[in-house]
This record gives sequence, structure tokens and C-alpha cells, in this order.
Amino acid sequence: MNRRSKEALFFNIFRGCALFVVIVLVVILGYILINGVGKLSIDLFTQNPAPNSHGAMVAGGILSPIVGTLMLMAIVLIIAVPAGVFGAVFLVEYGGNNRISRAWWMIVNNLAGVPSIVWGLVGVGLLVYYLNFGLSLLAAGVTLSFVILPLIMVATKEAIEAIPPSIREASVALGATKWQTVRHHILPYSASGILTGIILSLSRAAGETAPILLTGVAVNAAIPSSLSDSVQALPYYIYLMTQTSDRSAAIPMAYAAALVLIGVIVLLNLGAIILRNRYRQKYRW
Amino acid sequence: MSDIAVQDLNVWFDKNHALKNVNITVGGNQITAIIGPSGCGKSTFIRCINRMNDLIAGCKVEGKVIVDGKDIYDKDVDVVDIRKSIGMVFQKPNPFPKSIFENIAYAPRIHGVTDEDGNVHKASKQELAELVEWSLKRAALWDEVKDRLDKSAYNLSGGQQQRLCIARALAIKPEIILFDEPCSALDPIATAKIEDLLIDLKNDYTVLIVTHNMQQAGRVADKTAYFYLGDLIEYGETKQIFENPKQELTEQYITGRMG
Ligand SMILES: Nc1ncnc2c1ncn2[C@@H]1O[C@H](COP(=O)(O)OP(=O)(O)OP(=O)(O)O)[C@@H](O)[C@H]1O
Ligand SMILES: [Mg+2]
Repeated sequence: MNRRSKEALFFNIFRGCALFVVIVLVVILGYILINGVGKLSIDLFTQNPAPNSHGAMVAGGILSPIVGTLMLMAIVLIIAVPAGVFGAVFLVEYGGNNRISRAWWMIVNNLAGVPSIVWGLVGVGLLVYYLNFGLSLLAAGVTLSFVILPLIMVATKEAIEAIPPSIREASVALGATKWQTVRHHILPYSASGILTGIILSLSRAAGETAPILLTGVAVNAAIPSSLSDSVQALPYYIYLMTQTSDRSAAIPMAYAAALVLIGVIVLLNLGAIILRNRYRQKYRW
Repeated sequence: MSDIAVQDLNVWFDKNHALKNVNITVGGNQITAIIGPSGCGKSTFIRCINRMNDLIAGCKVEGKVIVDGKDIYDKDVDVVDIRKSIGMVFQKPNPFPKSIFENIAYAPRIHGVTDEDGNVHKASKQELAELVEWSLKRAALWDEVKDRLDKSAYNLSGGQQQRLCIARALAIKPEIILFDEPCSALDPIATAKIEDLLIDLKNDYTVLIVTHNMQQAGRVADKTAYFYLGDLIEYGETKQIFENPKQELTEQYITGRMG
């Protein structure tokens, strides 16, 4: 085979793969859209799930799951983001490149791969029972924070390490302290990468079911009025709908909830793109 | 201006003994050129003078570097203070990904400016603007960038970026200024401007310059030090080093039979 036809062959293989990915994506999204769009209504967004005449929770809307998911994400934002970003900054900037900090990163990398049901188990054992949080918004939120903490740390580390060392040297040589270097250079220049990591992690947290299943969700939970209340959430609601005996009523609700969940994630990602572009424009190299 | 006395300086990068027992005294108000083949430790040497090697994991420095009678490797020395009074221009231009103005204003912003009585105060907008202009003029860049100070430094050409880095180092009003091959990316016109700047600078500063360009060392340097494989082979008046080297190794390098 000559060079040209080899080139064409590989080009077509790549094109085929790209096409395959796009088709799968379109089919999945289209399928959810077709099945869920019929249920989209004002009621869906303004009413809590309610029992139908047979007592299955398939009537009403999905207000409490939506609000519950947003609340969980707020907790994750408050706990995991500062802890993850500053933890990673500390390890990279102050931990140095020694054996201890390499061991730390090995642990973090491994934690990033721990299946979420394991985190659920840790959450229920440690938070719900040992620390007496009970099945609650707080326990679920903290467990979700566990899940994405290592993801945020890894994203932050990579964003920081993408900055050329020569820029750090420039700052230090001008007599900036370590903290000034971090504050004025490292964080701003890596912000777009860190933000992307944060938001991708948040969308991951929004979609996780296993960690909250064991730690804080309940079938008939209303909108929580305190951190110790149990909570509803979109992924859990979708899971419930697939378990209900009244399938003909439940399945469309599941698709509608899935559509809303995807919508939330798309909105988050849009936010990520906008923020990222703002920082990219500001600090370009 | 500050004399720099280096005593028994040894540097290791892990097992690599990069500088071996270097003893040298660099005088103030003059330009000292550091020459030698690639990898002989020139950059390592000048990076010891503002303790930049501290940043490198696995780098060990032993010996003394005495500036104004004080060993900067002493335990009670605040390394940030050292670097505030020593400007450095790196081998490769490394501007911040910010505007031209912000690049130069950065150091005065964080350190403040010193008035005639030696008191440090926060830099006013006016003072920053003046300092930026003064620095850019001295680095022979002002005319090229005066209309786009708010544009990213990354839009500048390589040579302009290097002069920006020189201006940035001047803006801290250092006493010592270290140049690591500042002209390697510059055209002859810009190089000539930088050389004029160097000669001008020595009235106020102690200047060290690493260069691969013998003619350049000959043109600007009062004294020249020749390094080879981590050893300081010879140090003396530039004229003597070039015309009448005492060491065989120096002569080989100068005459181009090695390097
Ligand atoms: N960051 C580093 N880590 C490990 N070794 C280093 C580091 N920097 C320099 N070295 C080693 O120290 C020795 C001296 O290097 P240095 O950069 O000082 O050479 P140089 O004289 O400046 O060369 P050049 O003219 O090519 O810039 C070399 O053997 C180099 O491999
Ligand atoms: Mg060098």
C-alpha cells in the first residue's frame, strides 16, 4: 500500500470513529428527548412528586428532586471546591517534589478511581451512623464531595502544571513571595483549567446516584428545610421511576426527569465554557 | 555598588556536580562576563547569586555568596529580600501573560516604591506609569510599544519580549543585575541597544552577563570569567583573558579550538 492510500485509509477510519460517536450521542439524546418531552409542563417544575390512585409516586411534578439536586450541588460547591483547589495548590506549591507529596498524589489518583458505591458505603458508615448525621442532606452532600474531591484536585494539579516553570521563576526572581506568586500568577493563569475541572466534577456529582442512595435520599422527601432533612434528587428519582410497578405512568416521568438533569448539566457546562473563555482571553499564551 | 564575593561555591543537581569550588569576587560598577561552553555551569552560577536554584528540587548549594558583607545563604537571611535587590533576565524570555504595562508594574506594585528618604510606600498610578516608561526607555523598547501598553506581552516578538523582561527587571531598581544570554534572540540593532544599556547600567549597578558571544564580552565586559565543566578556569581583566590567557583551556576556547 502506498503512502497516499495509507493516509486515506487512516483518515477514513478516524472519520468513521468520529461519526460513530456522534451517532451514538444523537441517538441517546434524541431517544430521551422524544420520550420525555411530552411530560414537560409547568406542573412538572412546580409540583412535588405525588402518589397516584394506586399509591405509586408517579403523579405530580419533580420540583423537590430538582431543588434537592441543586442543594446537593451547593453543598458540594462549598465543601469540595475550596478543599480540592487549595489542597491541590498546597500539595503542588508547598509539598515540593519529594516522596511524601508523590505518595499523596498517588493516593489522590487512586481515590479518583474509587467506585461511587464505595463512597456511599463510607458515607453511610462514617457520616450517617458514626458521626450521627442521619440520612440527611448533609450526609449526602458530604459523600458527594468525597466523590469529586480527588477529581477537582487532579484537574487543579494539571492546570497548575501546565503553566511554564519559567513564568513562576520570573515572579520569584522579582522578589514575590510564594503566596504572591500563587495568588497573582499561578491561580489566575490556571483558572480556566481549574474552572473546567470544577464544573465537569459538579456535573458528575449532579448525576451520581449511588453515594446519595445510601446516605440521604428518601422516596417521599419534600424540599429539605434543614441540613438534617432527607432529600430528593433527580438521579434518585429516575432510579425510583424505573423500579415502580406502574410502568406506563413512571417511564415517561423518568425520561422527563432525565431530560431536566441533562439540561442542568448542559447549563453547567455552558457556564464553564463562558468562564473559561473569559479567563483565556485575559491570560493568553 | 555591591561587591559579590563567592567562596567555595559547590552546586549539585542530584549526583551531577555542576559547580566545583568556585571562588570569585565580582566588583561593583563594572560588567563581568561569564563565558564557557554549553553546560559548563554559567546559568547555574548566576542563579546562585539570587538563590534561584532554591526552586529546583534535587539542587544542593554549598559555600558562601557574600553581598554587601552578608552571606545570602545564611540561615537568617530572607531570600525574598535578596531577590528584591537583584534583577534577573533569563536565557529565554518569560513575560507574564498579562499586558505590557502590568508586566513591568508587577514588582513595584507588590513591593511599593522607595522615595528619596528611603521610605517605602504604595506606588501611585502616576508613579507606576512613570516607572513603566522609565524602564521601557532604558530597555530600548519604549518607542515600539508606547501605543500598546495595554496589549498582551505575548503579542511582542521574541526580541521585544526579551527587552520587556529587561525592563521588568530594571523596574525593581536592583543593585545587582544578572543577565543570562540576554541577546541570544535579538537582532544586531537590538543587541547594540542592549549593550549600550549594559554599559549605561554599570554606573549604578553590579552587572553580570552570561554570553556565548565573545565579541560581545570583549565589547562590554570589564572582567571576564571562563568556566569549563563546572570549574572556574580563569578570571581577570577582559583584555587579558582575550589577548593573553594564562590557562591553556581558556586559550583553546577563545581561539575556537574547542566549544
Ligand atoms: N534544573 C536542572 N536540573 C538538573 N540538572 C541541571 C539543571 N540545570 C542545570 N543542570 C545541569 O547543570 C550543568 C550546568 O548547567 P547550566 O545550565 O548551568 O549550563 P550553562 O553553562 O548555562 O549552559 P548553556 O550555555 O547551554 O546555557 C549541566 O550539566 C546541566 O545538565
Ligand atoms: Mg545557560
